[in-house]
Parts: sequence; C-alpha cells; structure tokens
Amino acid sequence: MGGDDEGVVRPRRAHRQRRGQAMVEFAVVLPLFLFCLIGALDAGLWAVQSSAEVSAVEQAAMIASSAGSSPLSETAPDARAITLAISGRLRTAMFGTTIESWCTTDASGACAPDSTQHCPSTPAEVQAADGPRVVVVCVSEADPPACTTPPSAQAAPFPPGCDDSPMISVRVIGFVASLVPPGFGPGARGFELPTDISATTHTLRFAP
Amino acid sequence: MLETALVIPILLFLICNFIAVMVQVTVQQQLNSATALAAQSRFQAPENAVDPAGARCCGVQGVTLVTAGLPTGCRYAAETFYGTMTAYADLLRWQAATLCTSGGDSGNETNPRLEPVAYPGSPAQAEVSCDIGSIKAGGVVVPGYVDRTLDPPSGLDVVTCTAAASLNFANTPLAWGVFWTPTLHAQAEALPPPFRQ
Repeated sequence: MGGDDEGVVRPRRAHRQRRGQAMVEFAVVLPLFLFCLIGALDAGLWAVQSSAEVSAVEQAAMIASSAGSSPLSETAPDARAITLAISGRLRTAMFGTTIESWCTTDASGACAPDSTQHCPSTPAEVQAADGPRVVVVCVSEADPPACTTPPSAQAAPFPPGCDDSPMISVRVIGFVASLVPPGFGPGARGFELPTDISATTHTLRFAP
Repeated sequence: MLETALVIPILLFLICNFIAVMVQVTVQQQLNSATALAAQSRFQAPENAVDPAGARCCGVQGVTLVTAGLPTGCRYAAETFYGTMTAYADLLRWQAATLCTSGGDSGNETNPRLEPVAYPGSPAQAEVSCDIGSIKAGGVVVPGYVDRTLDPPSGLDVVTCTAAASLNFANTPLAWGVFWTPTLHAQAEALPPPFRQ
C-alpha cells in the first residue's frame, strides 16, 4: 500500500516543483523581456524621431539660408518663423514632445540679434530652461571677419574669407519623449531620450 | 533553467543588433543630409571665385584643410559638410577622399565616361569629396562634372559630393552583441540654380 501512496504523491510533488521552477524562470525572464521589448520599441521610436529631425533640420537650414532680407545682414533669421515652417514635419513624429523656438525677443517682439542669441550647448540646458520633453529649434548666424587693408605681401580680400557669406546653423536640441511615461524610468526624466541634430550652411546670394 | 540560460543571451543579442540597425539608419540619413547640403552650398559661393592664399577650412579632430587656390564653392561645401556632420563623430571611421575634384563626365554614345580627377593642390585626406568646376585665376576653365543624362547631348555642369565612412560599435556597449561594421556611403547632386550670383 505504501508503494501505491508514494506512486500518487511523487508526481504531485514533481508537478509542484516544475510549477515552482517555471514561476521562478518566469519571474526572472519577464522583467528582462519587458526591458528588451521597451528598449526595442524605444530604439525604433528614437530612429523615427531622429529621421524626422534630420530631414526637418535640413529643410530648416535651406529656408534659413535664404530667409534673410540681405545676405550681409548681421542677424539670424527669426527662429519662430523657421520653427513654424518645420514644426508640422516634426510634430507627426515627435508626439508627446513640445517643440519650441529658442528665441529671446527684443522690445519690438523680434528675435534678439545674433550677438546675444546663443544656442544651448547640451540637451540638459534646454531641460533646465524649458522643462522635460521639450526640444527647441535654434537658429544662429556666424558672420565672417571684417575685411581690412591687406599687408603688403597679401592680396585682397584680407583676412581670407572676409568676403564670405555668413554661415547659418539650425539646431534641434532637447529631450524627446519615449514610450515610458515620466516618473517610471530611472531618475526624474524617465526614459527621455536626448537629441542634438544640427545643420550648417552658407547664406544664399542672389543676383541683383 | 537551461531554457532561461539560452533565451537571455539570445534576447540581448537580438536587441543589441536591432538598436545597431536603428543607429545605422539614423547615421546614414545624417550623412545623406550633410552631403546634400554640401553639394547645394557650392552655389552659395560666387561663381568662378577662387580661394586666396592662406585660406583654410574645417576638418575633423583638429585637422585643418588648406583650400588656397581651390574654388571657393569647394570650401563652402566642406564647411557645410563638417558643420552638419557633427553628431556620431565617435562612431565613424572616415574613408579619406580628395576634397575637390573636377572633370567627371557621365558620358553618352559619342563622349566616353570620365572619372573625376583631383583638383591641383586639393587636400587628399578629407572626409567629403566634391566634383566642382571653376575658372582659375589665369582664365583657365576647369570643368565640373558633366551630366549628359540630365541635359543631352551637351551635358549639365552639376556638383556631385560623396562621402563614405564605416560605423564602428567597438567603443559602445553594443559591441557585446554587434560583430559587424557597416559601411555608409552617401552621394548627392546639385543643379546650378537659375538666379545665382
């Protein structure tokens, strides 16, 4: 009889052990699987957002390079107009992210001149200024050095490059939203992803 | 536990490679954008302008390219390329190219296809190469790339810029599961605008 009892009990114990082992394995693998799944989804989302940013910044650079009223103007084009031109393209890909212009307005309501308009150097700077999940569009202009009378051995123009057209840079920088909502990721930012895409080109010259 | 021990490394391997492909796509698009802007910016320089002695421009890792005697449009293209291709610098291993070339021809039945040749004095260790025509100081005409498929039979003087680099994941956490090194290549053409200076 005892042999019969053992024959009944052993499969149950083995079944419980298998269930216990399966539960432990499940508990180990599930967080890792979720981590990988969210990582893969976020990587895909990041690629889509980066793709939209690159094409938008390229378009913005072309617009900004021809937007100045004069190629010799010493102020960058208004970042708000450039942002408006590309925001439609950005918004379709960057849901959950606020898109703003990096612009300090002067008394007349226009963007401040380039001498006081500096783009943020890191995404963290944008976050500190504008909050989480914000990317800003920043337009800056670098003017060539002023031409001077060349030394005797040098030919005009001097210094070299002084008659160049100004260089326009458009930068999209900040933190974009990911699939993990704020508060659920490591740190206060959650799984926000930093982004910093820029494009630089010379301003256009048109025939008179 | 054997299944778990097998599944976890495979899962991590797959996610690493998936992320690597996403990075490759993104860098390729950035390279395409930088090359396209570089080709277009050639036309933002005055036509036939040549850089004076002492002219220099951009480069990566502190390298400066000497552009004296080269078409100004070539320097503009380089400045645009380097100014735009600022992201992912640590991942890229550039393939050296001649900054400024000229004289390529797409060819047709009567004109043979010609490969561009290096512009005299052009830096040979640049990351981007642009085929650009110009008139040198002595009035010598240096043709750019003649694309006869766009304007047969005489051809159209277009600017072509190319850049190539390999993507190296060795210094990233992805190196754990990514054992391939993709090569990225970008080429862009720009047509002369009708209202240029």
